[in-house]
This record gives sequence, C-alpha cells and structure tokens, in this order.
Amino acid sequence: MIKNELKWEPLNVCNLQYLTEMMGGKNNLIKGIIETFLQQVPDELNGINTAIEKTDYQTIKSLAHTMKSSVSIMGISLLIPILQEMENLGTNATDIGRVKELSLKLNLICQQAFKEVENAKNNYI
Amino acid sequence: MSKENQINIFIVEDNQVFTLALKADIETAFKNLPVKISSFETGEACMEKFKSEKAQVVILDYNLNSTYPNAANGIQVLDWLKKENPEINVIMLTSEDSIDIASKSFKHGAADYVVKTETKFRKINYSLSNLFKVMEAKTEAKKYKRILMMVFAWVTLLIIATAVIKVCYPHLLS
Repeated sequence: MIKNELKWEPLNVCNLQYLTEMMGGKNNLIKGIIETFLQQVPDELNGINTAIEKTDYQTIKSLAHTMKSSVSIMGISLLIPILQEMENLGTNATDIGRVKELSLKLNLICQQAFKEVENAKNNYI
Repeated sequence: MSKENQINIFIVEDNQVFTLALKADIETAFKNLPVKISSFETGEACMEKFKSEKAQVVILDYNLNSTYPNAANGIQVLDWLKKENPEINVIMLTSEDSIDIASKSFKHGAADYVVKTETKFRKINYSLSNLFKVMEAKTEAKKYKRILMMVFAWVTLLIIATAVIKVCYPHLLS
C-alpha cells in the first residue's frame, strides 16, 4: 500500500552558494564571514527593534541600510525588499505602522536565517 | 614580497561582514599580485593609518555613519585623502544608484564609483584591475621619462664639451 505523506519543511531562506563561489570554496574564509555575520546581524536586528520602539527613523534607516549588505552576502534575498522598504520609510520618516509590519517579517526570517547559518557553519571546518 | 612592489589597498567600510567578504574576494582575484589589504571601520581610523602607511588604492564606502553616527562621511574622507595625496586612487562604494552621488564623487576626485548591486564584487575587481593597469602605465611612463632626461643630459653635456673644445682648443678639432 502506498502511503502518501505530506511533509512540511520550511524552505531555506539562505543561499550560501554565492558566498562559497566567491570565496573559491576556502572553508576558513567562509567560516570567518559566517561567524562575523552571526555576531553582527543579531545586534543590528536588536538595534532596529529598539529604534522602532522609540520611533527613531534615522537609526531604522541606517541599520536597514547596513543589514542589506550583510544579508545579500548570505544570499538571504527575501530580506532585501523588506529592508529596502524600511530604509525608504526611515529616510522619509513616515508610517511607523508599516515599519512595524515589516519588522515582524524581518524578525521571523532572520531567526530562521540565524538557525540555517549556525547549522551551515559546521560544514566549513 | 618586496615593499617597493607591494600594492597597498585600504578598505573603509563600517559593515564587517561586507569588508571580510570583499577582502577575501580581492585576495582570491589578485592572488598573483603582491596585494596587501588593510581595513578600517571609519574614515578617521583610515586617515590615522594613512599618515604612516601609504596606500595606492582606497575602497571607500559613501555611507560611513550607520554604526558610528558621528563618523565622517565618504566625501569628507575622500577630500582628506586627496589633500594628503592627490595621486591616490579612490573607488567610491554606495548602495544608492544616484547620479548626484556619482557626480559628487567624481567632482571630489574619485577614480571610480561602484553601486552595491549583486555584481558589486565583480565590478570592484574590474575597477581594481583597470587601476592596476593605469598605475603600471604611470610607473613605466616615469621610467621612460627618467631615461629620456638622462639621454638629454648626456647630449647637452656633449654639446657643451664640444663647444668648450672648439673655443679653447680649436686645433684638436681641426
């Protein structure tokens, strides 16, 4: 009897292929970048969350801008339009409601990304 | 690696993930060249180092105040660098594809302007490769200029010597 099972697996939000190709497969370099990412980006995310609580548009804009570069290196393309919109709203100092909506998505995707990157780190020894 | 041939590159960027990736990418792309890369999170730190160690190329982020709000911006750092060494090659990096930023960068003396798109690293390497060719051509031109000056000095000396002989010892030439 064929058993049809539907398995739900979350899709990967990171694509480390770009980083691996760029580094020419040098594991020590990739690991170094991953470790820096795992130190830097959670701090930036906390910074954005705090700035949203304080409605500090300038910091929202700056941190969204910096995070865009970091996440693009880890191939987290889902976050680019979110961060771009946050940066634009920060620049125009408008619509904190929309910024909050975007930050929910940002936090969810980031948590998933941190898990993936943490797991991937063990492949580059 | 001899110090004389070494190409010093400074990266000024406040995003450490980006800096590490860029540094590794340049080292991989130019592994056959004697390239030495130093990185700085602020323009101020770069300028401090620049006083004691000269760089041929500086890769400079336009927005340098996302982590340090009081840090100097890219254009201010570009002005300092150009004042310190007018021959410095500066590649300006920016996330915004803006004609205003591009023209401002070139007006202040940047050699190139790269937008941080998906192909940013390839563009930076292409820009570096062009700059290295220009630097090599300038070194060659200086070398030939020196040779030409030497030849000119010898010919002048020969003419003066002939004239002196002609005036003082005319019998030697007849």
